[in-house]
Amino acid sequence: ENISDFSLNITDCTQVVVPEEVFFTVAAAGILENLLILIAVVRNKNLHLPMYFFICSLAISDMLGSLYKTLENIFIILCKMGYLTRQGDFEKKLDDAMDSMFILSLLGSIFSLLAIAADRYITIFYALRYHNIMTLRRALVILAIIWVFCAGSSVAIALFSYEAATVIPFTILFPLMMFFILCLYVHMFLLARSHAKKIASQPSTTVHHRTNMKGAITLTIFLGVFLCCWAPFVLHILLARFCPHNPYCACYMSIFHVNGTLIMCNAIINPMIFAFRSPELRSTFKKMFYCSR
Amino acid sequence: MCALRLISNRTSQQALSNSDYTWDYEYYEYGPVSFEGLKAHKYSIVIGFWVGLAVFVIFMFFVLTLLTKTGAPHQDNAELSEKRFRMNSFVADFGRPLESERVFSHQMAEESQSLFHFCINEVDHMNKEKETQKGPSLESNTHFQEVPKSSGMFEEDLHCLTKFNIPNFVNTEQNSSLGEDDLLISEPPIILENKLVMQSSHRILD
Repeated sequence: ENISDFSLNITDCTQVVVPEEVFFTVAAAGILENLLILIAVVRNKNLHLPMYFFICSLAISDMLGSLYKTLENIFIILCKMGYLTRQGDFEKKLDDAMDSMFILSLLGSIFSLLAIAADRYITIFYALRYHNIMTLRRALVILAIIWVFCAGSSVAIALFSYEAATVIPFTILFPLMMFFILCLYVHMFLLARSHAKKIASQPSTTVHHRTNMKGAITLTIFLGVFLCCWAPFVLHILLARFCPHNPYCACYMSIFHVNGTLIMCNAIINPMIFAFRSPELRSTFKKMFYCSR
Repeated sequence: MCALRLISNRTSQQALSNSDYTWDYEYYEYGPVSFEGLKAHKYSIVIGFWVGLAVFVIFMFFVLTLLTKTGAPHQDNAELSEKRFRMNSFVADFGRPLESERVFSHQMAEESQSLFHFCINEVDHMNKEKETQKGPSLESNTHFQEVPKSSGMFEEDLHCLTKFNIPNFVNTEQNSSLGEDDLLISEPPIILENKLVMQSSHRILD
């Protein structure tokens, strides 16, 4: 029997399959967590601040990413069960729409992280004029601009994804943004360090080496998590564009589902390192859960 | 993302054609990939990528911790004497000579005096501040000078303003309400201003 068109050498790289239960659990956890954050920010008037709006924007992008993966899995299952055809026009349009949702999620994440970093930068370096620089209205305008831009780009990229020209700006944007965010945080970090040194020079205070170490750890976690969760997927896109027939590339592309799961893990981890660090948000959660009992 | 669609086949081992999920795009055909005669290990890109990523993150961490540990005392002296020099240049009647070997514990007293003068000459301040805060460059030498300069400006302004809004980010633990805060009232201003900006920066990084 002709088993396949693909070569079935022993050295073949087969798709690494992530069990569906794991997929759905991770996706559901991501969606729930980010939804909670949105609800908390909406309900608590104290949290109607630019900083929390940017965190909400990040939560929305994470939700979109997880939602995309969930929907894709549902469609796979529907396809397997025969409710959807594979070649239909409707399915292709649906597929394009879902692709653009995913790219929207990625771009939204990057720009939200950038907005959070810029907001913190202004908080530190322009502390006294912060409330004049970053008014609520301006924050909402910035968010609107970001999301409109991301939506437009995602639709454009999804429509023209078969052109090589769309992949290159996409993959250049990613490290560029990361580098810029890193620079912002390093600058803030240096200021914190110099302040800690100045305080430590006073005879009455103790030396805060641990504080600086914690700062380094925090910064590394911020950027390391984002890199580790998104970079594998970005590399996948690059390889799929430029060397799909190369066996090494094909082996890398066989772990596609693991990369997708990593992106959903990012949706779970991001709230922990951004939103849950705020005591106000934590107390809002406690109130929400205890009041409902 | 057509490439993705084709690659995201959930292939089971036994049936490769009919029961598989394939969102096919006819214009994107991938032929079979042959795995004959590979020189390196077939997962070399995967391994290389993850090792490279781990190395990069660890490198970043070490750079940050090195930043913690370096910044020797002489650099701090240079920063503070630099700042003192700038403060002196602003105030007309500030007659104290620059002494680079002044002890740190006297530094704060000096600052409080100079701050008092600054309140009087607030206009000069704002003008100078606009000139100097153009967005500090990231080059390391100027960096260490820029940073205390901008923080010095905060401290002066903080002392001058009686009431200001601290962004909620700088929130203290005991208080959950927004900025109209009582941080200023009960504490001596010198410790306050350092504490405030340091609090905000450490809030972010802790």
